[in-house]
Amino acid sequence: MRRKDVRLNSILNLNDGKCVILAVDHGFIFGPIKGLENVESTLKRALKGRLDAVMVSPGQAKRLSHIFGKRGAPALIVRGDWSNAFRDKTYALPVRKVQEVLIAHPKDLIHLGATGAVVYFFTGYGDENEQDQHYKRIKWFIENCEKVGLPCQVCVIPVGERVTGANFVDLLELGVRMAVEAGADILEVPYTQDITTFKRIVSAAKGVPVLCAGGPKATRLRDSLEIVVELLEAGASGVVFGRQVFQSDDPSSFLNMLYALVHEGKSVDEVIGILGRPSRLKVLPEKCIGCRLCEIICSLSHGNSFSPYKSRLRVEETQGMLKKFKPVVCTLCGSCVEACPTGALKLNPELGYLQLNEEECTGCKKCVEACPIKVLKFDEEAGIPLICDGCSGNPQCVKWCPVEAIVMEVR
Amino acid sequence: MSLEGRGYTGKILYIDLTTEKIKTESLDKKVAYLLLGGKGLGIWLLYKLSRPRENPLSPNIPLIFATGPLTGTSAPTSSKICVVTKSPATGTVLDSYCGGFFASELKYSGYDCLVITGRAERPSIIVIDNGEVDIRTAERLWGLTTVKVEEEIRKSLGENFKTMVIGPAGERLSPIAGIFSNLRSAGRGGAGAVMGSKKLKAIAVRGKEPVLVYDERKFTKMAWIAHRTLRMSEMTARSMPAYGTANILSVVNESGALPTRNFKSGRFEKAEEISGKSFREKLWIRSYSCSLNCPIACSKIAIINEGKFKGTMVDGPDYETIFSFGSNCGISDKNAISYANYICDMYGIDTISTGGIIAFVMELYEKGLIKSQDLDGIKATWGNVEALIRLVEKIAKGEGVGKFLQLGVKRISEKYPDSTKYAMQVKGLEVPGYEPRAAQGMGLCYAVSERGACHLRAYTAGGELLGHLGGIDPSSHNRLKVLYAIDRQDEKAVVDSSVLCFFTLFGLTLKEIYQMIVPCTGFNYENEMELKILGERVITLARLFNVREGFGKKDDKLPERFLKEPLPEGPLKGQTVHLDQMLSEYYSARGWDEEGIPTKEKLKQLKLMEIL
Repeated sequence: MRRKDVRLNSILNLNDGKCVILAVDHGFIFGPIKGLENVESTLKRALKGRLDAVMVSPGQAKRLSHIFGKRGAPALIVRGDWSNAFRDKTYALPVRKVQEVLIAHPKDLIHLGATGAVVYFFTGYGDENEQDQHYKRIKWFIENCEKVGLPCQVCVIPVGERVTGANFVDLLELGVRMAVEAGADILEVPYTQDITTFKRIVSAAKGVPVLCAGGPKATRLRDSLEIVVELLEAGASGVVFGRQVFQSDDPSSFLNMLYALVHEGKSVDEVIGILGRPSRLKVLPEKCIGCRLCEIICSLSHGNSFSPYKSRLRVEETQGMLKKFKPVVCTLCGSCVEACPTGALKLNPELGYLQLNEEECTGCKKCVEACPIKVLKFDEEAGIPLICDGCSGNPQCVKWCPVEAIVMEVR
Repeated sequence: MSLEGRGYTGKILYIDLTTEKIKTESLDKKVAYLLLGGKGLGIWLLYKLSRPRENPLSPNIPLIFATGPLTGTSAPTSSKICVVTKSPATGTVLDSYCGGFFASELKYSGYDCLVITGRAERPSIIVIDNGEVDIRTAERLWGLTTVKVEEEIRKSLGENFKTMVIGPAGERLSPIAGIFSNLRSAGRGGAGAVMGSKKLKAIAVRGKEPVLVYDERKFTKMAWIAHRTLRMSEMTARSMPAYGTANILSVVNESGALPTRNFKSGRFEKAEEISGKSFREKLWIRSYSCSLNCPIACSKIAIINEGKFKGTMVDGPDYETIFSFGSNCGISDKNAISYANYICDMYGIDTISTGGIIAFVMELYEKGLIKSQDLDGIKATWGNVEALIRLVEKIAKGEGVGKFLQLGVKRISEKYPDSTKYAMQVKGLEVPGYEPRAAQGMGLCYAVSERGACHLRAYTAGGELLGHLGGIDPSSHNRLKVLYAIDRQDEKAVVDSSVLCFFTLFGLTLKEIYQMIVPCTGFNYENEMELKILGERVITLARLFNVREGFGKKDDKLPERFLKEPLPEGPLKGQTVHLDQMLSEYYSARGWDEEGIPTKEKLKQLKLMEIL
């Protein structure tokens, strides 16, 4: 076995060829961002979780060799270049022209104890000459990695003057293929936000493992885990997550969740844990921004159209001018069940949500009259009450609310 | 193929206020396929329904409220209403967008679009209750402020009516009057005056009809992806919810692109005092969604908690308002800026144009061209808070000198011939908050925008100043820059025809929008590029309208200050806008002739001939 393959196998898990990489090289490009004020302590916390490799700058590889030198430490991937491409509006002057320079020779990275090296490859330069020069640099770097037996990960990202909303995926696909042709051993790409287009990217890689970058910290844990499941389904070999991990409340348990998704094929519900017990909707009115997506989604999931008029919950403006809102949802108080003369309305014995037997319902509206918060409406067309059935345990209003103003609570 | 059940209701409601005739016509399928809705549909209707060179305030000019296929669905920001008419400020086509919940409610009433012509004999209100149309007299409402009139309507008709109203400025046909809904506005270009000219104070609508999409399962999946993408993008998930649109103010200032003292400079020494961060600390108490399903919530509620204006509640201010009453007038007093915003909202005028007028007056005053006796005794010095508030009040109420000033910078400058070189307007619309000498693309954007100086038509500032997608050199003015601007312009036209909020583009790309449009409409657009071409078609159609009105290359120009006065400060110190070069590149890349008129071949290629 060649030296490079030995190293590659300690990055990608031997059994399934997949990997979870923690990136902490951000300080290099973004400065001391949240969660990376102290790389050493962040790493120490995170390394309690399961992962395959850590991605750092050459400086941190040197400084923290005592961590990476330990027996059983994760593989070490060291960055070989620097770029300004991600400097955004949080800086005095955001990037106006993408720059990229090589900052280390692959030989030096070996000395730092690297298991692998990583460089950027950008597609989207406005100037063709700059694009050529950039490709040439990357090719040189990969070649020299090959010479010293160092696997080279290439991080392909469409940035620059040619990138538009319409050509992003095309440029990514092109970049991935160019990196493969240049000899990349592992590819790292941003998520294209959907399975269909990501499959195109994986297919362009022609068998070279494709890892997906995490991007900025998601406001919701479920969102960041959901994209992992999607990209694995599209054929990716794992993830390179940084901010998602070290900016989360509990980096090591977040890594454990990623590991379970990537290596054990678990579902998001399995790693987060679902309630599975009698529960009800709980409203946090101070969070509500009044977008009324809950009304829209409620009407859709109980019919096949958007008709907020038939929504089984409502958003009230408590102080119109001040834009204070309050979602009013079924509290499962049971008044309607008590009022129902035919027994058509019942509580689900297992999970406790409301159920309506439409055949037994006579349309007497007793339930509507009984509802103390007037959230129960009557559908004149269908002749039945519009009850909140908690979407049979998977409430869509909870799933879609952008600010988590409606949540589930155990009864 | 019926349009019903494809995100459309398939119906257009026509109301003539002169004859009180009401009719419903079906929306042409080919038009929907080629132009989607919103901007595209609205401009097409304006083109078809208006005679060339008609006075914008004539009863014959239609006032159009258009929705798009995504309106009222679960797509993010799906209740922006697109208002289209002929602008009394510029004489060009005018399309303007307003948040609130009117658009979705109009659709739930069974209409994709509402076209109003004629002139009522007496002040009126149109009430559309679940499809039933009623024109009622509204003398009682005439003269009321925007907030008051909406309150009165809700009181008399019921809470769940959604409204579009004008304030006193629209009633007296001020060319800077907007149409308002729930504290939001279709502010620019004077749509409020068009509504006022029809003696129409308000429209109230409520509906119970469902909106159906073509492939509901697929659509829901794609809408989920769009929402998730917005929740995961830094700008839409963090910056804008926290700091509103003013999140960019400090960076724009650093780049030397924050218009200061009537665009004399691009750097404001007190920028930090008026940044989003500062407003968040001192004034804003809450963020909210101005439109249906908006996860961004860039709208802010401010309460002034000290000084003369204590206790005033304001919706905003947003970036444009802060620049316009703030840096551009040399003012750093957050309370004054917010109060000026409040007056504009109450009387129903555009904050960008109002601030532009005052900044211009301040420069005229500095240069001695205008004296305090010409200004009802107001000493209009830079940074003078009292002058700002008094001028805003006069303009908003049309009192004293305000009666003249409300006509806008262009008409004011006609009285002071020497002032045209720093009369900061294009085609009669005041220039918004990005200094084009520090972002050349914005210069092109202002010059070719169909409604006069507007920043939202080809927002190159995203790349030039904010580093979006790796950024683009703000000083370049080559073909690449022109193509970049064209991309932004086409993309925006798609968003405006869908209709979504512009700010979705800080998280979404055309791809995510395409992925929603297809299952929504069932139209067989092959890929996102085909939507981009649709955007080009809409832009070209708008151009055709303007050409018919006599506009051309001679009008695609910028104030002389941008072209001749070197920028005094900032990283791009010394620059002027290289408009001529960009303009000819632009025309050629667009397939328009040297005079900026779309060629026959281009019209054929864009299939525009088939619907005109």
